[in-house]
Amino acid sequence: MKLFKKLFIASVTVTTFSCFAEVSVIVNSSNGDTINQKLIKQIYLGKAKSFPSGNKITVLTLNDDAKGTDLFRQNALNKSNSQYKSYWAKRAFTGKGTPPKELSNANEMINAVKSDAGAIGFVDSSAVTGDVKVVATF
Amino acid sequence: MSSMLACTGAYAEVNLSGFASINAGKVLSGDGVPQFDVPPTFLADYPIVSAYKEEWDFDPESLFGVQISADLSHGISATAQVVARGANEWDPEFEWAYISYELNDEFTIQAGKKRLPLFYYSDFYDVGYAYVWMRAPADNYTWQIFNYTGLNVLYSKDIGDWSVVANLYTGKEDDKDNKLLGDFFFGGSETREIWKDIFGGVINLSKDWFEARFTIMEYTNERYIDGERVMWDGKDHRDGTFYGGAFNFDLGDWFVLTEMSRLDLDDNYDTRMVTFGYRLNELTPFIAYSEFDQDEDGGEEHNTTSIGLRWDFHSSAVFKVQYDKIEDKSFDLAVAGDSRALSFGVDVVF
Repeated sequence: MKLFKKLFIASVTVTTFSCFAEVSVIVNSSNGDTINQKLIKQIYLGKAKSFPSGNKITVLTLNDDAKGTDLFRQNALNKSNSQYKSYWAKRAFTGKGTPPKELSNANEMINAVKSDAGAIGFVDSSAVTGDVKVVATF
Repeated sequence: MSSMLACTGAYAEVNLSGFASINAGKVLSGDGVPQFDVPPTFLADYPIVSAYKEEWDFDPESLFGVQISADLSHGISATAQVVARGANEWDPEFEWAYISYELNDEFTIQAGKKRLPLFYYSDFYDVGYAYVWMRAPADNYTWQIFNYTGLNVLYSKDIGDWSVVANLYTGKEDDKDNKLLGDFFFGGSETREIWKDIFGGVINLSKDWFEARFTIMEYTNERYIDGERVMWDGKDHRDGTFYGGAFNFDLGDWFVLTEMSRLDLDDNYDTRMVTFGYRLNELTPFIAYSEFDQDEDGGEEHNTTSIGLRWDFHSSAVFKVQYDKIEDKSFDLAVAGDSRALSFGVDVVF
């Protein structure tokens, strides 16, 4: 019975954890633009190249295996990994755009966003620091 | 696709990316074309002439492509794509080589060698990862000219829920030894195929679940067989106009892909295709039908019914398997005869 209870608690904890998995879209602290979900989608699909203020955007993504990547593609872009990669393969190999630059972990992402006024990226919400500004969560 | 940062020099940021397909196939049963001494053959695609026979073969549709792109800043970039194909003894060839200039957020000008964007899938025909079948339906993609060298103006803008992408292009292609015409249609004669004064336009309108693409192109055709100029009704050239439309519906798990085209040359040549697919997590089963029909008695006429499966087993790699049943109804213009064929393979992007 005790074991059963432990297992029960363990599984609830795991479930709760995955329910609260969340990604934060981050920009440089100096960025004063209003960035809504629609603009985020346009940016990551290569359709918006400048912020409303006119500043050029540097689009950054975490790689396929990083924490939060799947969740971001699914919730913010409404695309599975395969749909996302097909979309960008189609554009990149036909001269219609360059895919977001890939970084391999949250640390690199925070540093890249901190040091580039035009950068936009995302990290698992637990990795957000005061060095960057959160504009949306998914 | 990871855009790998190969080097960051003082002048340009250079990106390397690519794609590869390793495919195998064979004819399960087929009639061939006895009147032209063609053995049982499955012509999987026309422009590259990927032909399978009755033994398993990895060469016809396997390929390896590398794209190198240099961003010179201020909106200028240079891109080249080199593709080596099993069908051409793995000789690497430049398929794309162009310079791009981004005028502003909406307009980009490109000059150089590009893919001729006749069909929806023409531009990314080589990138198997980006579509569901083993190959874009062969009955549609029948034209012998695949590339052009010239100018392209690209426009893209989001208006409300709609994305608009349009382009206008002009150029020429002079293919000194056209494989499809030479090997398949004119019995091994060296055929020089020229498409010149090409003027074309494409407009693509899309929103979340729907996409429509319209295209029109005009060109002038000249041809030499074994060095001798071909005459059509006493003239040394002929003019053609190509029209096409594609409509895609993405209904969540279900999707429907359709495309139709007409080439108005001496006769009308019509193509149509429809595909139904269903996404079941990593698996995507599909069925497809396509046909080609020359509007003349005894003209070229063939169709393909296909059933297949795409499996996304890795974030950058897919496995596909497909069964095709081809009906070749023509006699004088028979291509490869009736056949049933099986093919499978792996596509990757990197």
